Amino acid sequence: MQLDQLPTPKSERWKFTNLPSALKKLEISPAALGWGGDVALLNKDAPGAAQYQDTQLWDLNSEHTQDIKFISADETLEISAQDGQWLSPRIIVHVKSGEELTLIENQSGQGAYWKNQVVQIVLEPNAKLNHYRFIGETEKGVFTTFTHIKIARDARYEALNVISGAGLVRNQIYADIDGENADCTLNGVNLLSGTQHADTTITIEHQAPHCISNQVYKNVVTDSARGVFQGKVHVHRPAQKTDGYQLSNTLLLSDLAEMDTKPELEIYADDVKCSHGATTGQLDEDPLFYLRARGIPENTARALLIEAFLGEALERVSDETIQTRAREIISDWLKEHA
Amino acid sequence: MIKIQNLHAEIDGNDILKGIDLKIDPGKVHAIMGPNGSGKSTLSYVLAGREEYDVTQGDILFNGESILEMAPEERAAAGLFLAFQYPVEIPGVQMTTFLKTALNAVRTERGEDELDAIDFLKLMKKTCADLGINDEMMKRAVNSGFSGGEKKRNEVLQMAMLQPKFAVLDETDSGLDIDALKIVADGVNKLRAEDRSFLVITHYQRLLDYIEPDVVHVLADGKIIKTGGPELAKELEAKGYGDILKDAA
Repeated sequence: MQLDQLPTPKSERWKFTNLPSALKKLEISPAALGWGGDVALLNKDAPGAAQYQDTQLWDLNSEHTQDIKFISADETLEISAQDGQWLSPRIIVHVKSGEELTLIENQSGQGAYWKNQVVQIVLEPNAKLNHYRFIGETEKGVFTTFTHIKIARDARYEALNVISGAGLVRNQIYADIDGENADCTLNGVNLLSGTQHADTTITIEHQAPHCISNQVYKNVVTDSARGVFQGKVHVHRPAQKTDGYQLSNTLLLSDLAEMDTKPELEIYADDVKCSHGATTGQLDEDPLFYLRARGIPENTARALLIEAFLGEALERVSDETIQTRAREIISDWLKEHA
Repeated sequence: MIKIQNLHAEIDGNDILKGIDLKIDPGKVHAIMGPNGSGKSTLSYVLAGREEYDVTQGDILFNGESILEMAPEERAAAGLFLAFQYPVEIPGVQMTTFLKTALNAVRTERGEDELDAIDFLKLMKKTCADLGINDEMMKRAVNSGFSGGEKKRNEVLQMAMLQPKFAVLDETDSGLDIDALKIVADGVNKLRAEDRSFLVITHYQRLLDYIEPDVVHVLADGKIIKTGGPELAKELEAKGYGDILKDAA
């Protein structure tokens, strides 16, 4: 692996995440999941190349991938790395006009590894994709994933990303909304402990009028873990009547925990409704005391309050079994960390 | 039941309670009245175990044992209950979840079996009915968007569910109109029992028309300056705090 092909904290969009330093510690070599697939079919053009120049990982994936999966029906993917592997999975999703499908990714691994994944999604008019990703990496596992979504007229993209295990995670999401009345809803729950590092970097390009984008991210960070949230909503001149909402709330449960949040709105249309909210704080004492005064032990009380805090990120998830699974992950995590 | 001995407490280095002595026997209702800033709410928080307050001298004995080293949840399990002046809104935590978790935690501590979902719901519905509370309220998040009256009724409901031995009502009358006040007082009166004591903290005599106390104390500047029967409350209402504070000085 050539480290000089990697983005470094010198670049604006990688300010808070040092990928070369994490990868330097790993002994890994190129490997495959065994999916196969024809590399010639790949669309090698990375999105945002001109504007954001943040395409190194996409290009690296294109160069090295041996695993290509085409998705056009409901599917659950188990993507698990072995110790020492450098994987470059490529997932290509195409949802035809008027169809709806659900893609679930279960991300995991063993030992030390790097998964550098690219997911390319095309939603035709009036299509819907439910895209749920559960990330449970090892403490030496590095997972970088670049998801690009092209959303046509009346199409909907609904995502939930849950991180409960990470060495280092970079979850980069890039949505191009280029048809009217489209909807892009991104939800995230990040549960970080130990020395975990998780970076969520989102770009939403509103190119067409009357579209909605929602981002609701809830983070709980403890020990000396570190979370990063960078969310950009870019409303182009034709995208009148855009309704853009972005929320990132973080609870820090320890003095050494850290959260870096960078919300960005760039708006060129003059008739839009865009708002963002970002908070970072500790658990409030008042509700905690109230619950304890009713006999609820401190740990249980903290867990109840944290579950309530995280709940908002699950409200817009339409699949109830996914909501339940997320709640179970949260509840297990809280047993250890609340 | 409860014995407070020479209690001194401070917060952020400010002395608030400056030597309180108070003994409440089982079945008795005591009232503490006092002007703003006299230390009424501090006393209720110190009794319930809020950690921001430091007890610098004295002791609180509950059934003969000191509770100063006990966490708030241990005090609740032992049978102490604080009805909050400002019940806290907790969005995202459903009333039913909250009550069931609290009740079962307290039951476990008391060596009783936990209630299963069905028995819990039965008890909750019955308690709501007894207190004239619409149990639709139980589907909402704890105190979230509740009116002032609903919040205070919710405090009484929690008290009825947890069956404490000693309940402190901290300015339960604040923010209530007369109808809401009657409903809340009625709920409290239903819970009066030979083995249950109350400490009613209030600024105004009004509440004591509905919850009649056995003993009335006047708190000023962190000390009890006068103790008497229910007539003391009426005297305070007629004359205001000025005269009594002057007499005591």
